[in-house]
Amino acid sequence: MKKWTLLLLICSIAMLGFSAGTAGAEDKKIKAGFIYVGPVGDYGFSHAHDLGRKFAEEKLDWLETVYVESVSEADSDRIIDRLVQQQKCDVVFTNSFGFMDSTIKAGERYPDKIFMHCSGFKRSDNVGTYFGDLYQMYYLNGIMAGALTQTNKIGYVAAFPIPELIRHIDAYALGIKAVNPDAKVHVKWIYAWYGPDKAREAAESLIAEGCDTLAFTEDTPAVIEVGQEHTEKGKQIYTFSHYSAMQPYGEDSVVSGQFMNWGGMYVKILEDIQAGNWTNEDIWWLAKEGAAILGGNETDPINPKFVDDLKQAMVQTEEFGEISAYDLVMTRYDQMKQGVDVFDPFVGPISDNKGNLQIPAGERASKDDLLSIMYYVDNVEGTIPQ
Amino acid sequence: MIHITSTDRYRITRWRVVMTNILSLAAGLVVISFIFMIAGVNPLFAISEIFQGSFGSVYGFKETVTKAIPLILIGAGLTLAFRAKFWNIGAEGQLLMGAIFATWTGLTFGDTLPSWGIIPLMFAAGFLGGALWGIIPAILKIRYAINEVISTLMLNYICAHILTMLIVGPWKGGTRFGFPGTDTLPEAAILSVIPGSRIHYVTLILALACAAILTMIIYWTRFGYEARVVGENPEAGKYAGIDFLKTTLILMAISGGLAGMAGVGEVAGIHQYLGYPDSMSSGYGFTAIIVAWLAKLNPLYTVISGLFFAGILVGGDAIQISLGLPAATVNIVNGTLLIFLIMGDYFLNHKISITFSTP
Repeated sequence: MKKWTLLLLICSIAMLGFSAGTAGAEDKKIKAGFIYVGPVGDYGFSHAHDLGRKFAEEKLDWLETVYVESVSEADSDRIIDRLVQQQKCDVVFTNSFGFMDSTIKAGERYPDKIFMHCSGFKRSDNVGTYFGDLYQMYYLNGIMAGALTQTNKIGYVAAFPIPELIRHIDAYALGIKAVNPDAKVHVKWIYAWYGPDKAREAAESLIAEGCDTLAFTEDTPAVIEVGQEHTEKGKQIYTFSHYSAMQPYGEDSVVSGQFMNWGGMYVKILEDIQAGNWTNEDIWWLAKEGAAILGGNETDPINPKFVDDLKQAMVQTEEFGEISAYDLVMTRYDQMKQGVDVFDPFVGPISDNKGNLQIPAGERASKDDLLSIMYYVDNVEGTIPQ
Repeated sequence: MIHITSTDRYRITRWRVVMTNILSLAAGLVVISFIFMIAGVNPLFAISEIFQGSFGSVYGFKETVTKAIPLILIGAGLTLAFRAKFWNIGAEGQLLMGAIFATWTGLTFGDTLPSWGIIPLMFAAGFLGGALWGIIPAILKIRYAINEVISTLMLNYICAHILTMLIVGPWKGGTRFGFPGTDTLPEAAILSVIPGSRIHYVTLILALACAAILTMIIYWTRFGYEARVVGENPEAGKYAGIDFLKTTLILMAISGGLAGMAGVGEVAGIHQYLGYPDSMSSGYGFTAIIVAWLAKLNPLYTVISGLFFAGILVGGDAIQISLGLPAATVNIVNGTLLIFLIMGDYFLNHKISITFSTP
């Protein structure tokens, strides 16, 4: 009797399994987990990713998402485990460079799941990488900074000394150099992605040192708030917003800036996974793919308050002769949208600030060069912390 | 008129300790329930999710144990220091110093020595690192009367900066493409884990053993007695001829050393390389202070309080993931529970009587 019950039980379980299997094939749902390093309200990197997540969830009706914010690197293994084991995620997006090793290890633990790591360089069979880079927009910001600065001292508040940041600082400096070879870039490192207090301190000290123009990589509008405060007190400080539309925090200070649109990339990755076309190939999107966008808010590439100033600022260029800074920005932006082969900031001759030629005349830096760049170009002051 | 008077309670039974803690926890959960209700979540569902996420599922329990390992090790060491009224707030730095020493050992000898040789060596190095970092404030206090709360706290930051300097400078790994961090430790220098989990069992066994041995030291040895006298009655200690410097040095070497060993576990068991201080420890050195306190400064009880606290931290994930509440909610819940547990202490040590009288 007992044997029969057992047999019946096994049969019913098997049938259940089959029916579940066929139901899944008809309507393949995908559940994606997102792990953010900062809070989604940070107005920076995590915020931008979360907008992308929401965009994808709205667009794809077979997609379900779950996210975890403010995950420290020490805890990332655990959170990945939880998303896979408890939340049954099919795909996990890990959105900070520091999650790289955890993501690779998770790929080994869960060979039948897909992992996508943002900004890293390690891949495996089921771990891919993706990134959208803003260096082109930093170059355009640099053109505006170089045209507007009165003191020829331009500040940069930077998070961590890693290639991504160096690339942004260098692109910014190259944009400045294109219109104002006398201006120098001064960098302050704060060692935090999310550190409004430190960013504020760094911005204040750059202004105290004579900088009148500030750009930054940090996930809050702290630098912009500092610029706005000084501007309201009568000392014009120009700032450039980073990663989200931060212009509302400094209508009189923010000239332009850049933000990232992750939505399109997430939709593409998830559609590829759904269709079974996914590969672990690195995804690297720029202005051409519509990932990198110029501006301090969603509507104006340049704050209308500063458009006239930029139109009046005439600069000399080899390619276009005498041209207004405004036209130069717009022309370059247009070229960037056509592709890196039409225009790219990192075309030689480019020398580092120790006098070594890094990119020979006429050559364009490869993606690998850009991903591992660790030198300041020649109009940046100081040395990279070693 | 209502009169509320509070008198000191002298006899505290074990039963009363347990009941006070359970009641404090329950009271905390009631307050948290209101917070969940405001956020629009059914509190019963929320609380069950939290405990499901930490103790009620195999997965959650494995993670709770993983997180409890450093908390037990550090907490047990802190009970010794706190008993001598040496307020060691520097376990975080002692943990990092242990991780630094162990990483150096692992990277230097990991390729030549077998696992059974290198692992004990790393733990010894980690103990040494933590102990050295713990001895500094001990000397400063006994010799120069420098407040140890300040010195231990500040040494945390110094150690974090030393670590950062090492990983962006001389120790930066060749395999990291210019990113800060050492190379991954050699295979032999990595602690093995219980399959399907992240529990590095060597450190777990060490933690349990240390908690047991420390209990014996505190209650059964002359040194343990001296440590307690130093804390509770220094005047009597002086007359009895207790060498304050020696006693304090030894107890801080143990307290710091255990934190250093926790650092070895984190670097060799979890991360397998040395990176930024924030990513090596998520504040274990500070959390362990509460662990030691909840254990009523009994090293053996840190096993329970360490597990409990790890559970709260791990269960906090559920608040975000299953309930979709912001990460800050986790801190609110943990903070509320803590406040109630600490408030419970007052009722444990004081007898409150309320009397009504007519004027």
